[in-house]
Amino acid sequence: MQHSFRGHHLTASLLALALGAGFDAHAEVAGDGAPSVAVSGFGTVGVVHSSEEHADYIASALKSNGAGATRRWSGDVDTRLGLQLDAALDKRWSAVLQLVSEMDLDNSYRPRVEWANIKYQVTPELALRLGRVALPMFLTAEYRKVGYIYPWVRPPVESYGTLPFTSGDGIDANLRWNLGPVRNTSQIFFGHADQKLVDPMRGYARRVFGLANTSDWGALSVRASLLGGEATAAIADQLFDALDASGPAGAALTRAYAIDHKQISVASIGANYDPGTWFLMAEASRTRTHSLLGATRSIYASAGWRHGTLTPYLTWSHVRAVGATSSPGLPLAGLPPQVAGQVAALNAGLNQLLGTVPQQTSVSAGLRWDLRANTALKLQYDRASPHAGSHGTLTNLTPGFQPGRTIHVASVAIDFVY
Amino acid sequence: MGQLTPLRRRATLTLVMLLAGLAAAPAPAAASELVVIVSARSPVTALRPDQVAAIFLGQSVRFPDGAEAIPLDQRLGAPLRDEFYLRVTSKTPPLLKAWWSKMVFTGRGQPPAEVADSAAVRRRVADNPGLVGYIDRSALDASVRPVLVVQ
Repeated sequence: MQHSFRGHHLTASLLALALGAGFDAHAEVAGDGAPSVAVSGFGTVGVVHSSEEHADYIASALKSNGAGATRRWSGDVDTRLGLQLDAALDKRWSAVLQLVSEMDLDNSYRPRVEWANIKYQVTPELALRLGRVALPMFLTAEYRKVGYIYPWVRPPVESYGTLPFTSGDGIDANLRWNLGPVRNTSQIFFGHADQKLVDPMRGYARRVFGLANTSDWGALSVRASLLGGEATAAIADQLFDALDASGPAGAALTRAYAIDHKQISVASIGANYDPGTWFLMAEASRTRTHSLLGATRSIYASAGWRHGTLTPYLTWSHVRAVGATSSPGLPLAGLPPQVAGQVAALNAGLNQLLGTVPQQTSVSAGLRWDLRANTALKLQYDRASPHAGSHGTLTNLTPGFQPGRTIHVASVAIDFVY
Repeated sequence: MGQLTPLRRRATLTLVMLLAGLAAAPAPAAASELVVIVSARSPVTALRPDQVAAIFLGQSVRFPDGAEAIPLDQRLGAPLRDEFYLRVTSKTPPLLKAWWSKMVFTGRGQPPAEVADSAAVRRRVADNPGLVGYIDRSALDASVRPVLVVQ
């Protein structure tokens, strides 16, 4: 509770800082090469209700709780505040700092440095950045925290909720190039990623390599991305220590499922057609982790119509496992009863982990209402159906949870940018 | 026909001037003529709507001849600005705000600088061959060159 309170206090301070400094924002005329500082920010205030009272509905695996079991109405699923400082030193050198405050795995709103990098504009088309930058992933991943940009309350959780790593530390290059009428932006990243889990646990990814290309042709935008790296996270260490100690068969299970120097990859291709009065968006992605995080394929499609300030939309979204979601574990045959009980508990623990690989289909209907040119109110209903015995994107299961039940989720959110 | 009294003559004159004034004055926003301009010193003679859109949306940083292009906006909320973006990019003010939020919050760029009105845009553009702006046609003069009449 204390953490949470301190977090809110920090958030309030950030907001005050942003609003106080906001008077000077964007006052500078670009292009003349004079030093300038721009302050901008974004935020979402949202509440979510879930019909499932034996588990929490979350939008990101990096949240300690959500709507359902912890609270029937939760403000923590989507609420966040972001602040960005853009400093241009001259025509070539600039720097950016972005802080984001949102619920994390420690049940706090402690601000996190989302980006901190310096940029060198080699030519008007080529930019190099050094520091913490957005990882090249998915169609909307780079701005997934800025609700105002996209039509929904949140990007489809089946695609975006499971690997919520958004930034990495390293170097990237962005190149703009034209091919006839097609305008392209290509990005390449190399570095590492470090994500705080439940304090003091962290997830690391070394030798992270990312490639992305966005092609815009009139109202059509197509983005393909590929991200790979070697991940290590101390998740379920005790279980894997016990499996290792049990002998060669257990050690083989540890090698198969522990997140210990595992090559992971995320590939996606998505398209957005937006002529102004309507939009159609679709994206398919594939993740491979060679670990308890599993291998998944996900896909979503979304369409909306803009009538003045109102944008009703529909989304269908699906994720399924293409790797193991259960394991026979260690053989129990021939073991003394007492040892068999312990081994059975290990097997159950392992299968509980593998069961967290999400398999779920959602149908969502929503309405975006643009209140002002920087504020939108959104209402969304999601009908989420976890399948194949999975508990989908739910977390914090309580003993009363029954897999396979459809969940009804209602969300209200106000998104703003400033 | 009797002679016009001085009073009636003045009233008639006023009416004629008023009518002439109405015809010459900028028509309401929906019917105003928008032109995209560069400096008279710029070698650029014509731009296509998609080229103008790309420059103003931060997707393109050069004129077709390869020279660097810097867009200049009218102030936020100006009817001329909303009309320009609707016609050239099919974006309403909220969509344009979302677009620039995407650019700013992915570190890809900042929106164009803004100046007060068509006369201010013309002055700035006339002084700098790298700038490109849009103004009401009635604000045109010899210091700038129209490169696209926005339909």
